[in-house]
Amino acid sequence: MSKLGAVVEAVEKHEKFVRDEVQRARTDEAFGREMLERWEKIKSEIPISRAPTGLPLPRLALPEIDEPGEIARYLLGDGLPGEFPYLNGAYREMYLEPLPEIETGSYGNAKSPNGSKGKKNGAKPQPPEEPTRLFSGLMLAEDTNKRFHFLSAHQRSKRLSTAFDGPTLYGIDSDADGVFGKIGEGGVAVDTVEDMVRLYDGFELGAPHFSASMTISGPAPIIMAMYIAAAKRRFGPKVVPNLRGTIQADIFKEVQAQNETIFPIEASLRFLLDMIEWTAEKMPRWYPVSISGYHIGEAGSTPVQQAAYTLSNGFAYVEMLSARGVPVDQFAPRLSFFLDCGLDVEYIALARVSRKIWAIGMRDVFGASPRGQMFKLHTQTSGRSLIAAEFKNNLTRTATELMLAYMNGTNSCHSNSADEPFTTPSEEWIRLAAHGQAILLEESGIFKHTMNMLSGSPGMKAVERAVEKAILDEFREIESLGGVMGAVENRYQRSQIQNAAHRYEEQIYNGTRPIIGLTRYRSPEDEMPEIELARTPRAKQELQVRRLKAFKKKNAAKAAQALDQLSEVVESCENTFPALLEAVEVCSLGQISDRLQEVVGRFRPMV
Amino acid sequence: MASPVRILTAVPICDGHDSAINTINLEFIRHGIEVVYLGFHRYVGDIVRAAIQEDVAAVGISSYNGGHIDFFAEVVRQLRRAGAEDIAVFGGGGGTITPDDAKIMKRKGVDQIFFAGTSLGEIAQYVKKRYGNRRKKKNRRNADLVLARELTQIEDARGKIRNSKFTIRKSREACVIGFTGPGGAGKTTLIDELVLRFLRNQPGARLAILSHDPSVVGEGALLGDRATMINSQDDRVFMRSMATRGQAGGLSPATESCLARLTSAGFDYVLLETVGTGQEALPFRGRLIDQTVLVMNPDYGARLQLQKIVMLDVADIVVVNKTDLDRAKVALSEIEYRLTQNKRGQQLVATVAKRHRDAGVDKLYEMLTEPVIPSAVEGSRGKSFKVTSRDASNPPRFARNDGKGKGQAKKQTKDN
Repeated sequence: MSKLGAVVEAVEKHEKFVRDEVQRARTDEAFGREMLERWEKIKSEIPISRAPTGLPLPRLALPEIDEPGEIARYLLGDGLPGEFPYLNGAYREMYLEPLPEIETGSYGNAKSPNGSKGKKNGAKPQPPEEPTRLFSGLMLAEDTNKRFHFLSAHQRSKRLSTAFDGPTLYGIDSDADGVFGKIGEGGVAVDTVEDMVRLYDGFELGAPHFSASMTISGPAPIIMAMYIAAAKRRFGPKVVPNLRGTIQADIFKEVQAQNETIFPIEASLRFLLDMIEWTAEKMPRWYPVSISGYHIGEAGSTPVQQAAYTLSNGFAYVEMLSARGVPVDQFAPRLSFFLDCGLDVEYIALARVSRKIWAIGMRDVFGASPRGQMFKLHTQTSGRSLIAAEFKNNLTRTATELMLAYMNGTNSCHSNSADEPFTTPSEEWIRLAAHGQAILLEESGIFKHTMNMLSGSPGMKAVERAVEKAILDEFREIESLGGVMGAVENRYQRSQIQNAAHRYEEQIYNGTRPIIGLTRYRSPEDEMPEIELARTPRAKQELQVRRLKAFKKKNAAKAAQALDQLSEVVESCENTFPALLEAVEVCSLGQISDRLQEVVGRFRPMV
Repeated sequence: MASPVRILTAVPICDGHDSAINTINLEFIRHGIEVVYLGFHRYVGDIVRAAIQEDVAAVGISSYNGGHIDFFAEVVRQLRRAGAEDIAVFGGGGGTITPDDAKIMKRKGVDQIFFAGTSLGEIAQYVKKRYGNRRKKKNRRNADLVLARELTQIEDARGKIRNSKFTIRKSREACVIGFTGPGGAGKTTLIDELVLRFLRNQPGARLAILSHDPSVVGEGALLGDRATMINSQDDRVFMRSMATRGQAGGLSPATESCLARLTSAGFDYVLLETVGTGQEALPFRGRLIDQTVLVMNPDYGARLQLQKIVMLDVADIVVVNKTDLDRAKVALSEIEYRLTQNKRGQQLVATVAKRHRDAGVDKLYEMLTEPVIPSAVEGSRGKSFKVTSRDASNPPRFARNDGKGKGQAKKQTKDN
């Protein structure tokens, strides 16, 4: 049995625990009183914020209950935000505008109960950082760099999310046969550490206000090594422990859905775990894997499949790292998650249920402390829900999805740009997408005064229950196939996703899934919009090839040596990551992945 | 009944977006189309080679990662250069291919681009109608193409074309190895791993692969072996995927005739793979197979089940694949006992084909490439295979692994 079965049992046990405690609160007078007293205390400590109209509102809205059993059900079954099992949120506060003064209580401001720190200094309290993330990647490193500066110009915190072009995602050099037209398409071309230096030029890597996120999995350990090498070149070796950011590196979802795997699964997992082990120790602020359901959702899964596969993949990584002897509290707080948010009704509660299952599994099966129980979530609105026909409707789709994502208490969010069905997003539509988030969080009052304005409604609860049950059923199925690895080898997740995708398409054309502007209310003039397409000019592609060739020529002798050393380490049982750090100084991405493939083999695609 | 339309589908290099193509493949099959699926992240050269060898009527490309204008045009250009300009190219890419792009692509020879919003049924109907009755031009320039088209004629006549219609040389040159076994045993992976060893160790050798997938008479089929056979996409390998078109037993009605054609087409080896077979299957009835390999999964169930597997009595080599599974030890000893009882000198090999440089696959490769000594055991095979080199001046090509191969095998053991 893999640990997934144990997670199912732990969740069931927790449900029973909650039911028993509810009964106890109703029958055991002392316990009932304890519950009531705790409830009164919590209520009294909740600060009051004021809407611009002067209306007073609680920071945290609590259900209107005064019966000990129901109080126990809420506190133990759902948990306050930032409290086990984190259904309502991973942290105590999110999205909220800072209070000018705390009128009552101290909830959410434990460090300065009077909230007077800002007042004393006469300065305005610092607003928290924006949950908005800016995703970009186009053409060559310097082009993406320019885009990053444009996007983050008005942001207090620079949180950059990087998309790579096809050859980079597959570990192929820009000068390889047959990939020329793909250079810089759909993301930025990165072949060498020099490209990596160019990519984040002008940003202060290692500063608390800066973090980089890199959306790459197949060759992730090599790209991670390049990022570290680039940071060292600019800021010296001392920068390493201060680096903040995320690298996607999620091999399971690649094999299940996104198909950007370049080494056999076992070898890919080894390189990944080597990297996580190294970074967990040396880069305590880095998130070395972003366990991703996004691509599973985009490949066509149902929301429940997305959550079930993502969570089970996460548990599988935890199981493997634990088996290597890495202490759970060293790596568990560095795991983060990435989910899709589409328009299906399940999304109203998907992240809430995911937080709960993760917390229970991590605490009760893997013995993680609270920081390792928190399901830290980045959400992206669904690219698949956006369509080309009457594409301006995509603004509404994305806005609806954003609303769902924030209602779920996501920790950060990316909103897709309406022109995504055609092209790498252009500046005009990216701006609208980013502003959509600002309108929702900063202009509207929905999220900024009361943190859980829309959570916990009876309807949402109903979805929660149904979704939780369905996720546990999926876990049982995976467990019966021998856990995540067994299920992957039986291509279980892949075939489930493919079936769901096919059903989705059928539903569109048989009318069960209306698509406005396509299958309903279609406009008579069905023309594609005039959109400025971001295509990489040939001259730029040629430049990238020239630069790469010069790098290879300059480092030819050293590269051969570094690659041989790398082979040796891979043949041994040592951690491969230090050897990658050496190799990226003188070798290109393609040189390294080719060499690794020689030693460990190539990935055999599953269909 | 008219033969099904055959098409090839693929996703371009550096693109893993296979959700659309998987959905469309299913729809094609429902419409009675035979789809050879090459998979995602595929080079132009691989697509063109496959299109020619499989002799499809059209190539469908699903592209979502940009660079489509160049990519589609290059497919058209390389097909033309190979003399296969009658193989049409079509495709789509949701919204990523704009109408303006499509105009350029059509000018460059692409037959059709489907935009987002086209229903699945509409695409399938178009393909059936447009590519259903294409007349193929005769082409004598490209040997692969000539061979591929002869195979199509044989296949469409359900094997009833007598071999005399084609130029079949008197002497058979290729060593024919038949692989069979239950579905999920890993035949395809095993064959592809053997191909890697053939190509590495015998630099001049050419191989043909005839692989089978099940289908019902007059209906579609998904021929997906190429997608996982990464090593077999090579200019020295001629691969052909066949649907069984209603014939039970693991092969197609045309297999034997196609095999006869392939054995005299200048290949050193022809590897034949059946569909996943049941216990009673005895797929290799013809006299064209030199060695038969039964590939098994350790999870065959209770020991009693072994008695029912007929192929165990006749296979020359029995491979137990996936021996990394828990049950492997028991399975190996049970099968070994069964083979000993047969007293026919059958060989047993344990492999983990999915593992890179697996020592078991190395051993199987050696067995298959050793000169076969006429079997001493009575009645083991109708005829014994004798190695004859096409060119007498060639050194024997069935040498054991060279030093390099052995070194690799050693390393592998260390890894484990």
